[in-house]
Amino acid sequence: MALCFSVKHLFPISKCYVKNIILNNVCKYTSKNVPTTNHALDNMTDWETLSKKKKISKAMKAYLERAKEHDEFMKKQEFEYKIGKRHLANMMGEDPETFTQKDVDRAIEYLFPSGIYDPAARPLMKPPEEVFPARKAAEFDEAGRPHHFLFYTGKPNFFKLLHDGAEHIQQAYNFEDKVIRKKAVPDPNGELNIDNSIWLTKEQLEQVLVESITDLEYDNFKLLMERLISLPYAYRHKEFIEKYRKPLVTQRFALEIPKPSYDDEGRAFVTTYECLRKKARGDVTIRVPGTGKITINGKDLTYFEDVQPREQVMFPLFFTNMQDRVDVECNIEGGGPSGQSGAIRWGIAWGLRSFVDKDMLEKMQVAGLLTRDHRRRERKKPGQPGARKKPTWKRR
Amino acid sequence: MSNVTHYLPVLKNPLLLRSPWSRLQKRFLGRPTSFPDYFQNPIFRKEDQAKLIENSELSKLAAVPVRPPAVYETSSVYHDPLVNKVINHVMEMGKKKLARELVEKAFENIKRKQIERYHLASSPEEKAKIILDPKTVLHRAIANSKPLLQLSPIKRGGITYQVPGPITEKRSLFLAIKWLLEATNEKDRTIHFPEQFARELLDAASNTGKVVKRKQDLHRQCEANRAYAHYRWQ
Amino acid sequence: MISRSWRNLCRRYSQTVTFRTTESSPSQHNEKQIGLFYSVNHDLCKQLFAYGGLPKSFAKQTKTFTETAIMVRQPALDLIDCIKASDFNKPVIRYVMYGEKGSGKSLTLAHLLHYAYEEGYLIVHVPWVSEFLRRVPRHKEMSNSQTREGFVDLPLDVAAWLLHFKTQNQVLLKNTELKISRDYVWSKRESTVAGSPLSQLVEHGINRVKYACDVLDALVYEIKQLSNSKQCKTFVAIDGFNGFFCPLTRLHTPTKKKVKPEEVTLTGSFLELAKNDWSNGVVVVTADQLALPDDHQDSYLPRYLLYKKGFELLDPFVPIEVGRYTDKEFLSCASYYRDRLWLRGPPEIETELKFTSACNPYKFMEQCAPL
Repeated sequence: MALCFSVKHLFPISKCYVKNIILNNVCKYTSKNVPTTNHALDNMTDWETLSKKKKISKAMKAYLERAKEHDEFMKKQEFEYKIGKRHLANMMGEDPETFTQKDVDRAIEYLFPSGIYDPAARPLMKPPEEVFPARKAAEFDEAGRPHHFLFYTGKPNFFKLLHDGAEHIQQAYNFEDKVIRKKAVPDPNGELNIDNSIWLTKEQLEQVLVESITDLEYDNFKLLMERLISLPYAYRHKEFIEKYRKPLVTQRFALEIPKPSYDDEGRAFVTTYECLRKKARGDVTIRVPGTGKITINGKDLTYFEDVQPREQVMFPLFFTNMQDRVDVECNIEGGGPSGQSGAIRWGIAWGLRSFVDKDMLEKMQVAGLLTRDHRRRERKKPGQPGARKKPTWKRR
Repeated sequence: MSNVTHYLPVLKNPLLLRSPWSRLQKRFLGRPTSFPDYFQNPIFRKEDQAKLIENSELSKLAAVPVRPPAVYETSSVYHDPLVNKVINHVMEMGKKKLARELVEKAFENIKRKQIERYHLASSPEEKAKIILDPKTVLHRAIANSKPLLQLSPIKRGGITYQVPGPITEKRSLFLAIKWLLEATNEKDRTIHFPEQFARELLDAASNTGKVVKRKQDLHRQCEANRAYAHYRWQ
Repeated sequence: MISRSWRNLCRRYSQTVTFRTTESSPSQHNEKQIGLFYSVNHDLCKQLFAYGGLPKSFAKQTKTFTETAIMVRQPALDLIDCIKASDFNKPVIRYVMYGEKGSGKSLTLAHLLHYAYEEGYLIVHVPWVSEFLRRVPRHKEMSNSQTREGFVDLPLDVAAWLLHFKTQNQVLLKNTELKISRDYVWSKRESTVAGSPLSQLVEHGINRVKYACDVLDALVYEIKQLSNSKQCKTFVAIDGFNGFFCPLTRLHTPTKKKVKPEEVTLTGSFLELAKNDWSNGVVVVTADQLALPDDHQDSYLPRYLLYKKGFELLDPFVPIEVGRYTDKEFLSCASYYRDRLWLRGPPEIETELKFTSACNPYKFMEQCAPL
């Protein structure tokens, strides 16, 4: 009885009072199981929790089932992939232990040659993590309480990121205040070097966060990070910033400069093979010392009848002031005048790297002479008159 | 070919794309047709590079990927971006060679006329006034025919008012070149394009002729419609 | 006008000009003057080149530069030396000039014409063969020939050419010693008697256009006779000779049949002149790619351009190649253009233009145009 009274206080009186009376009546009128007051309490809690479990379990159960299925599926795929890799290695006659992903790709290309235009449509064999999109682990526990404190925003990882960014900014401000109070100076060695990297693109960010982001949100993210970088003490939060920056390619142009070989007359020469532009293919040989003679496919510069290709061929020579110090011989085929002259221009610039000092090399790079032009003609799509041109837009 | 792979943009995972239209487009982009956004534009003119060296920014730019210069751009002394723009506007159906020849013939005509005038002029002061360089003539003609304001139609209460407003540099340049070309093409077809164009340019450079008149008419209209200027902010 | 010549005089004597030479007589030109420009007297220009002779683009340049200046080049000097050293008692030597498009063949020919004029040659100059055969503005005045069966006449063209011949040889024709050797009867009432001066024959051809082609035949015969009898020395210059041997012309008969060059009377006349069965003369001929239609312009060598017939006709001949500018010539030409205000800008332009034009004279002139 005392317990009943105390229980009354715990629970809302009206409902449980009724329940209590019913229970007591039930207890009174059943002969077999005579529950003690303790029993009564236990029965009551069991009933509550039972009903609660019954309420949540459908959604939770389904979710948990799905998560389990996915995990099993992934495990199976992983297993199959490993076995498949070993089989493939055996087929190709190579060592299964040292069979890398590149070898796998090559093997698949060899065994299943495909003429399909789109590389994504061709047969591929990749580890399951790359093929199937990443899914988030269980976001809330059995009780239905989410693990992440920002779960109810819908995009917890993204907003956590913004939150972290804001925190770092605040910390930087605080540090700056402290430093000013101590009348110290920022450390000159600790400058952030952001020249060689750019922010992650939207797609990459989506992949990292395993969530989709709108354009507006991505712009906001960029704004936040730019603000963080602009602060004087941003270098203290270097790791955080580096995580979201993609390093650009270390410049290839300065790394593998070929050494000139010497021909019969004792002149140094450098040959650049595979000079491409659009459909033109060729190779260019530069000989030093020379008189400024240019030979294209056995003919003089008059191979090009128009002025524009001739100017393009001369562009790197005049830029580096080597117009009367080198001889150029080239063989090209395919493409038209613009394509061929573009290929020769790149070939000359690439070959001149061996004969030019570092300053000039940097100048050439800034002028863009050393970038390979890999643009090709875009194909015409079905349903459209051209590559980008669409049929007349009709409102209805 | 080794450095090509680094410049390929990250191919989108098709499953992550939202709209069916972009999915269709991305499916067909086997090879990229333009350089990604983070490529910088090249700086190849000797004066621009000298400026960079002064600011000691050359090495910073050398670390960033750079687009290659276009087919019609060279570092030589006689390349002019304004001349190239005019050639592009003259060009039809992608026939750059023909457009360039027409503009060059027009320059030749200008030069011949100016040399004639130079020889006919008697005193050295007059000689000094005559511009012999056709590119300078072109620059001056375009500078004289660039409008400073434009009229935009704004509808208020059922009536469309022509409201004067500012004009961007790009649009002003575009209008100047467009008017010059229209004036060249509208006359009788027996006079060929280079000669007519030379005439128009010489007129515009000396602040006479149709194009300058059109610009001045526009300015007068703007001045007349000054009262409606506040409609831009209503 | 006075101020212009005064300016020229000043320029000649006061400035140190490295691209000009004061020697204006071609017979005195020698190797010291290679690459230098000499200007031709204005009246002489009109006399010699009024109806052709200078390429059209060059004629425009003369107007802009207010003077006609020709560069002394190696091929011209070679030719002049050859002519000076040749024996006039032997049959005529034929010289064939060949070269790329725009390398200066017509201008070398003009230089030689000036030389011939100074030396007192009787000049027979065909400015551009394709004018007759390929240039068909709307309707070419054609008629069937009367004296020869199945041949086609070009009366107006020939009459114009006779006028050109007359203006070029004004001085010589005034000298009435040049007489015709036989009678020519044109019709019942008109005839030219043997012993009348050559100028009368020419006048007749100009006045009576109907008989112009026959006059041309007669003229050719007479000139050969006069040269053989040492009464005058002849200089024959034909520009674009290979046009006579091209398979087709652009002419049609009124029955829409295409005419071949051999069927035109004036081809016959000029081919007669180019034969070497007469003496006391010089024949200079150019083989030019531009005389042929665009499809057949593969090479600039005479063997290809003259076809088999022309080669056999002209064989043996002395080939002379007219090449591109050498460095020295290029520099001199560039400084001449600067002087004439045709080329302006910083000096680096010259090296660039040298490359882009590949030292071809015509291309260089074209590319200086918009600068």
